[in-house]
Amino acid sequence: MTQIKIAAFFRSAICGVLAFSAFLTQSCGGKTSKVENTAEIQEISSVSYAKRFSLIRHEGYSQVQILDPWQGAKGVVQNWFLVNDTAVIPPSISPSEVIRVPVRRIVCTSTTHLAMISAIGESATVKGFSGTGFLYSKEYNDMISAGSLSEIGYDDNLNKELIIQLRPDLVMMYGIGGESSAFAGKLREMGLKVMFNADYLETSPLGKAEWIKLLGALYAKEYLADSIFTDIEHEYKATETFISENAREHPKVLLGLPFRDTWYVSPGNSYISELIDDAGGNYLWSDIESDISIPMGLENVYIKALTAVYWINTGTAESLGQISSVDSRFKSLPCYTNGNVYNNTGLTNKHGGNDYWENGTILPHIILNDIASILHPELFPDRVLHFYRKLNR
Amino acid sequence: MDKDITLLKYSQSNNKRIRLLFLLMFFLLVLFFILDLFLGSVLISPGEIFRAVFNDAGEVTETILSKFRLPKAITALLAGIALSVSGLQMQTLFRNPMAGPYVLGLSSGASLGVAVVILGFSSFIFPEGGSGLGNWAIAGASWLGAGAIMLLIMMISARVKNIMTVLILGIMLSSAISAVVSILQYFSSETMLKSYVIWTMGSLGNITGDQLKVMSIAVATGVILSLISVKMLNAMLLGEDYARSIGLEVKASRNIIIAGTSILTGTVTAFCGPIGFIGIAVPHLSRMVFRTSDHRVLVPATILTGSIIMLGSDMVSQLPGYETVLPINAVTALIGIPVVIWVILQNQKSREIF
Repeated sequence: MTQIKIAAFFRSAICGVLAFSAFLTQSCGGKTSKVENTAEIQEISSVSYAKRFSLIRHEGYSQVQILDPWQGAKGVVQNWFLVNDTAVIPPSISPSEVIRVPVRRIVCTSTTHLAMISAIGESATVKGFSGTGFLYSKEYNDMISAGSLSEIGYDDNLNKELIIQLRPDLVMMYGIGGESSAFAGKLREMGLKVMFNADYLETSPLGKAEWIKLLGALYAKEYLADSIFTDIEHEYKATETFISENAREHPKVLLGLPFRDTWYVSPGNSYISELIDDAGGNYLWSDIESDISIPMGLENVYIKALTAVYWINTGTAESLGQISSVDSRFKSLPCYTNGNVYNNTGLTNKHGGNDYWENGTILPHIILNDIASILHPELFPDRVLHFYRKLNR
Repeated sequence: MDKDITLLKYSQSNNKRIRLLFLLMFFLLVLFFILDLFLGSVLISPGEIFRAVFNDAGEVTETILSKFRLPKAITALLAGIALSVSGLQMQTLFRNPMAGPYVLGLSSGASLGVAVVILGFSSFIFPEGGSGLGNWAIAGASWLGAGAIMLLIMMISARVKNIMTVLILGIMLSSAISAVVSILQYFSSETMLKSYVIWTMGSLGNITGDQLKVMSIAVATGVILSLISVKMLNAMLLGEDYARSIGLEVKASRNIIIAGTSILTGTVTAFCGPIGFIGIAVPHLSRMVFRTSDHRVLVPATILTGSIIMLGSDMVSQLPGYETVLPINAVTALIGIPVVIWVILQNQKSREIF
């Protein structure tokens, strides 16, 4: 179903691109005549949910700001000007901050970047990726086996020579590890444009998906990206409203899996916590606010978990048996004995790729529908789970 | 002649002191064990615990006590005993104050086993690595790794005359294995890496039921072996040549000691991860407190000291009253180091054990 939808986007994409390029040439033509007006650019960011970037469309170019792109960053701003490669770079802009769009060759580091690029129909431009071994998407896996997409390594062990060889117009990184940036600095020194992508820090599902607008701007496909996002937003809101109007109770939800004697508990202001909330559930730790997961003792979690009706996102446990092999004490939880245990591994492949972490980012409405139909089966009588699956004995 | 009499007097008074110390420490041990049951992130009042023991105090309290706190306290007790005793044995065997339970490379053997399970092997089976694997898989892999190293060390030890050669080869071996582990880490995903790193921080709280039984049996076996080797250890303290001259089968005793240590250390590492510091510090602490190098005193003394410190560390790591917890390895080091420094400074005279 999703695929059909995406195909529809592609069709509208072509129209969109045509329309947009027409608009672009027009505005470019108009620009020279309105030089004195460029100071009154429309300072309106077209971003409404995402908190970590802003996108302002000016005459002939767009300005992107990436805000606090890693955990714990305060007041860090990465400024970029996206200028169409047929346009003249305005003299007021520093050339080091310019990215010529559309980007034709890109290296990226997160599955979420890949999914968004794929959604706007530009997967062929991806030349390098970090972690090609764990991909779900067939499209990208085919590119890997055909040799057109290379593995670039990790963090401080990035294969810099290979990256240079790939001649990317842009390297898109996610900023785990702070100014992670021993290697980011190195790449910049080699003359590459390194853009941070902070979609993984967005705590709202729509905010995370909205990063597709950045990719849209990078590929000069703003219109397409906007229409994809508007659709996501519409679907998401529809389910949210449906749930808030119809759900009579809000069952408590347990999340995650312990490792050894520690349970890393997702805080109440996290991405998944918001999804549970919007799906009409009551997350056990919804009152905790934190930027990071909190390590908790097992007895604490156990006591709270006794009240949970559902248990979702069980990490690596793929069956109830595996949960009890991790810690047999959790077998006595009511949500376990009732069999109300679900994991987000409905779409995985044998390499360990999981579509939840790829297309899931731009399909938050599908994830929301999944969780809502888990928590309120009576409201979704015929729905088949997409990203989620129920764990068997 | 006079000197002999004063020595005799000293040893008599020290014997009295030792007996008193044993009594005191045993009392402390019981106290700490009970305190460890009381204190945890979920607050349970003493009254509730009392009721839980003698009648029902509600299902939740009882579950917390019987399924979480009691196994954890017993694990802390066993781990404290095992690591301290094997540390003592290694320090004596190698006549080296820096030796500890992991000097033979057992922890690197265990970590290789665990790394293969968490980082390498599991990546082909589970999408996100580590934590989906059962406790038994991790314990088994760790045991296999430590056991393989033990056999290797025993084979080496049976061939070489000088025990220092065994020490050097042990260190070489563990460096080589660490290199293999770092390659595995390099090729693993972030989630797997985190699982592995958490394993290396040690944990006491996820051993229950059958695992606790296995651990108890193994620790008991190791402790019995160490009690058997008390005389050998005393002889070895004076050098292997001396031990040989009084008719000790040096290579055979070496292997008994190595086997005992490996069982103790391997088991603790299998179930709790590599717990540092206790094994090196506790033997020194006991020597200083008990002012003796006689293993007939030192073995029980390290057993008591080790378990008391481990229980104390466990209490602190649970941060009573808070929801979050600290990794046990960090706590053993942070608590243990000031204690040892204090004892060293208090006992300037008796530090000449080695």
